[in-house]
Amino acid sequence: MKKNLKRLLPLCMAVMLLLQGCGSGSGSGEKAEKPFAPKYDKETEFSLTVAGHYSNFESLEAEFERFYEHYPNASMQYVTMDDYRNVISSALVNSEPPDIFISNTWMIGNEDYDSLFDACEVLSDPSLDIDYSCIRESLVRTTDSGDVVMLPIFTTSYGMLVNMDIFEKEGLKVPENFKELVSVCEKLKSAGYESPMMGVNRFSGSGLFNCFAYPMYGYNVVKHSDRIDALNSFAPSSGELMRPALERLDEFVNSGCIDLAKCDEEITDEYDSVIMRFFEGDVPMMFATGDVVSGTAKRESKSEAFSAHPFKYRFFTAPSGDDGGYYINSDSICFSVNKNSRNIDMANEFMRFLISRKELGNMAALKRLIPPVNDGSPDEIYSSLADVPADRSFSDKEIGLLDPAVRQFRAAIYAVGNGTMTVDEAVAAYGSIPEE
Amino acid sequence: MNRKLIIVSNLLIMGFILFLIFTYANIKAEESYRNEIIAFEKMTMTTNQIIVNYLEDEQHLCDIWANYINNSAKDGTPMTAEEAVSFIRKAKTSPEIEGHLIFPDTPDRSGISTTAKVSNPDVYSVSYKKIDIFDNIENVNGEDGVTCLTRAYTNPMNGVQSIAFVNDVTVQDEGSGEPKKGLLLRVVPLSSLEQKLVFLKGEYENVEISLVDRDGNYVVHGKSFKNSNFFEYYKSYNEASSDEYEDVIREITSGTGTMMIRNVKGEECVLSYTPLESMTTWFLLAYIPEKDLVESRSIDWLLLGISSLGFLALLVFNSFVMMIYNRKLSEAAQQANQANEAKSYFLSTMSHDIRTPMNAILGLNEMILRDSRDDGIRNYSESIRTAGNTLLGIINDILDFSKIEAGKMEIINVDYSFASLLNDLVNMVQKKADDKGLIFNLDIDRNIPTTLNGDEIRIKQIITNILSNAVKYTAQGSVTFSVQARQPEDKTNSVMLKVSVADTGIGIKPEDLDRLFVAFERIEEKKNRNIEGTGLGMVITRRFLDMMGSSLEVESEYGKGSVFSFELEQRVVNPEPIGDFEEAYRRSISERDSYHEKFTAPDARVLVVDDTPVNLTVFTNLLKRTQLQIDTAESGDDGISLYIRNHYDVIFLDHMMPDKDGIDTIREMKNLTDTSNTSTPVICLTANAISGMREMYINAGFDDYLTKPIDAERLEMMLLQYLPADKVTPASEPVSDTASGIDGTDDNEDVMLPDFLYDIKEINTNAGLNYCGDAEDYIMALEMYLSSAEQKAEEIEKYWTAGDIKSTTVKVHALKSASRAIGALGLGEFAARLEQAGNNGDTDTLDKELVELISGYRQLAKDLEPLKDYEES
Repeated sequence: MKKNLKRLLPLCMAVMLLLQGCGSGSGSGEKAEKPFAPKYDKETEFSLTVAGHYSNFESLEAEFERFYEHYPNASMQYVTMDDYRNVISSALVNSEPPDIFISNTWMIGNEDYDSLFDACEVLSDPSLDIDYSCIRESLVRTTDSGDVVMLPIFTTSYGMLVNMDIFEKEGLKVPENFKELVSVCEKLKSAGYESPMMGVNRFSGSGLFNCFAYPMYGYNVVKHSDRIDALNSFAPSSGELMRPALERLDEFVNSGCIDLAKCDEEITDEYDSVIMRFFEGDVPMMFATGDVVSGTAKRESKSEAFSAHPFKYRFFTAPSGDDGGYYINSDSICFSVNKNSRNIDMANEFMRFLISRKELGNMAALKRLIPPVNDGSPDEIYSSLADVPADRSFSDKEIGLLDPAVRQFRAAIYAVGNGTMTVDEAVAAYGSIPEE
Repeated sequence: MNRKLIIVSNLLIMGFILFLIFTYANIKAEESYRNEIIAFEKMTMTTNQIIVNYLEDEQHLCDIWANYINNSAKDGTPMTAEEAVSFIRKAKTSPEIEGHLIFPDTPDRSGISTTAKVSNPDVYSVSYKKIDIFDNIENVNGEDGVTCLTRAYTNPMNGVQSIAFVNDVTVQDEGSGEPKKGLLLRVVPLSSLEQKLVFLKGEYENVEISLVDRDGNYVVHGKSFKNSNFFEYYKSYNEASSDEYEDVIREITSGTGTMMIRNVKGEECVLSYTPLESMTTWFLLAYIPEKDLVESRSIDWLLLGISSLGFLALLVFNSFVMMIYNRKLSEAAQQANQANEAKSYFLSTMSHDIRTPMNAILGLNEMILRDSRDDGIRNYSESIRTAGNTLLGIINDILDFSKIEAGKMEIINVDYSFASLLNDLVNMVQKKADDKGLIFNLDIDRNIPTTLNGDEIRIKQIITNILSNAVKYTAQGSVTFSVQARQPEDKTNSVMLKVSVADTGIGIKPEDLDRLFVAFERIEEKKNRNIEGTGLGMVITRRFLDMMGSSLEVESEYGKGSVFSFELEQRVVNPEPIGDFEEAYRRSISERDSYHEKFTAPDARVLVVDDTPVNLTVFTNLLKRTQLQIDTAESGDDGISLYIRNHYDVIFLDHMMPDKDGIDTIREMKNLTDTSNTSTPVICLTANAISGMREMYINAGFDDYLTKPIDAERLEMMLLQYLPADKVTPASEPVSDTASGIDGTDDNEDVMLPDFLYDIKEINTNAGLNYCGDAEDYIMALEMYLSSAEQKAEEIEKYWTAGDIKSTTVKVHALKSASRAIGALGLGEFAARLEQAGNNGDTDTLDKELVELISGYRQLAKDLEPLKDYEES
């Protein structure tokens, strides 16, 4: 599968497109979006099932209701699948296959999902009339034949939640580079904040080390795009590209900015616990991904501490670089259509309805994630991302690393961060670092 | 009831009926709705039973598998895992159903499946490492008949949403050969369970069935239920406090019931819930939009609409019919009104037309009675007077009845002398009683106050009617007139008069008593046909008493007599008792005989002021025999001049005079101090003979008033009252005709009216003679009328040209009075009409007709000019 994937686009092209994507509002060159017009008889009766791993998908269910306005006799259901990664491939070929399902970019290049991609409808087929031009091109993945089989629904990023009230109270400015970060943390510590930064210490994309170091690593990879293949193939010495990020991580862990033991003790999972701990109101900065941020709105009322003492908070890139943080815009989830669906036409019709600036924007607003459309996110919580310079903004697609390579980096930072490996050991062991 | 009121009443009744229908429809709809809810709950319970039966059946099959495997172990020959799965593979009949033998204690919670993995046909191993379904299972291998079930989950072998029935099994560990505990799962696609619920679609089109676990997580997910958890869904779309939210959770997880919730569209929905029997972990939720349950209510709206339209149609029809009837009634009422108006017009015209000649008849007759010494003629004349008075009474009754019917009769209370009232009554009835040979008894309470306040005229009329009837219907015996007084309780300034008239007449049968008060109805008319009457007297009497707050009582015994009585409350003005009225009256009556002057007073001097020379002449002539010194004045100013110069014993002052009327004149007189007349009584002469006039004149400064045309007897009585006693000499007994030295009859016999007077159409000589007394006085009055005519006509023209309406009206009033006095009745009536127009400010009428009046006046004066020759001759 790896060799079937399309090569990454040249960096300059990607940066240019990303700049377009991060721009505010509809650009001057963008055409006005046509309102959705049903292709089939409105009275058509059909049912569709969308399968995924989200335990809750209210933003999608809201879209079902909007779709019913065009097809009132439709019946749509979202099904949460247990052990999604392992069962989705089987589910697609069983007697009751889902019509649409969540796919992720990390599945690309993984042989376990070859059958999944084989079952995907080609959404770029002109006969389907699915206009995905509203989606930033840097986020749209294609097969090496140029087919689009998955379209991004939400995007995410890596960074940190900042309690703005604490900074205001302490008279501090949110740090923009690593030096400022260390300085601010010292001041916060002296002000009584035991661990100015916190996060969940897990081997996952939401783990605190990943939020801190991965964007810096990605930036380094983008800068050395000629080494991407070597990294994906774990070529000897290719691990050296990890060194700047690993050294900065090591420096960070030892700077006293974060108390890992406290994090391990107080933050027990990478989602609920992160948010609820942050809402306690005594954490100045909390490492988080966009997916975690998406759960904040719903949990504000669930937190007694936050309800009693609400505060203002924002999402920032982690200031790991000397010149500032790095903004990676990654696909969070994509939707694919099961080409074996019993209602393939209506499944494609739903995708045609959903893939629009308006509907994707609605979903992202409800989910509090970053929409994949060119307009970016209108949510104020992500407002700081617009200030990240273009040369430090890029997408997963531009990094070009496949999931195994990404997981090796994640294993490296998990080991270095927790002190089980030195930077040198991790660099040397690239390709064979033990994963979770 | 007018039309609008009827329509409003109809609409109100319609509204009320519609309200009742609406209320009834609502009650029925509510009842229907409650029944629907109950039916929906029953459906939920039925569904519950179906699901439970299905689950129990499946559980039973799982138990059979487990029992077989466990029995092997109990028998000492436990199956290996492969053997157990092989057994299940053979035992299960449906390819959709799988058996999983899982060993929870292994790191990956792995085991063996009866069916290969869909994505790899060679793989039978199954792992539940990342599928957390075992922690919340209760009662595994528990009591018989109790279902042990997992939540809905994704079958790791085929990715199908499934549920699994669980039981403990014991197999042999292939490695150690020892017994090994495992979990046997009968994995059933969730769709199998969902198919059991399809039948419900027939009964409730939009019903949705969900199964949730204790935490609200869906086992079976209804289409409209969003979120993965029902309680989260409820919280998202229903405004509820945390306490209410907890109550909802507690309610749903603790029993069976129904509640209202809102769905994603904000619609009210009915949610019926019940725990699945034989399980404590699953709950059945049946949900349907409320509007689907209450559709039957539209039938009631249809009924209501039809009823409303029906009522409206009825209202329109009724209104149309009513309109036609109303139009006919209106026409009939208009005709009746016209007839009534015609009747009233006829009655009033007839009365007037009869009264006018009657005045002449009675006046002339009075002169005959005065002057004639022939007993035969006097008898005839007396009969004429009696018949004339009867006729006048009838006319007056008709007029009064007309006024009562028209609602124009009013009670006007004035101060009056009760003795005077009695006097008039007794005078009236005594003569009649004497004529019929009846004894007239008086029983007057001597304690009756002297002056009372009430409607003197109407009271007199009431008693007159009763007394007249008593005399009329009594052939022999007596009539007793009684007035008693008593003090009403708590009213110190009032007196209650009990008036009764008892007779020994024909009496009234009890059955005829009611007819007594029916207009124009006369009792036993044939028998009493010789007795005059209209049948109105008692009717008028009763109506007057009603208006005064009293009522007439009648006690009668047929053939023996009747007693008519009433009680009347009167305000006391002067409480001094009247004393012995009977004695006083008897004395006066004994003195009365035929007419002759009541006194002579040659030393007394009287001033009479009237702008009408004729009236002055009449006045002077009427008092000729009293030898009074009479000065006359034709205007207020002339009167004042005489008032200043001379002393008078009594002054008579006309009310209506031009320039300075009677009231202005007396005011000026009273303001004069340098005069010997400051205590001289002044009496007003007026034609306004209506109730209340006395008070007005007393208030203006007059001592009394006398109505015109002047009644000679009244005039003499008044003078007797006001002249100083020392100047009055009571008249001696009447002398015989031959002995009379001052008898004017002899003179009159010599004086004849000139013939040309009878040729003047405008003049009624009889009326003139009646008014003026005799031919000589009449000719004098005519001469004065003639001599002043041109001057008076010019005065009227002068005032009219100057725009002085008031003075014009006074002059016209004078013309009216003078014309009537000489018998120019037509001209008098014409002047009376224009006087009325002047009083009303009706200048248009004056402008149109005044010229005609003056022309008529001048023409009459011209016609009278031969009088000059007559005088000269």
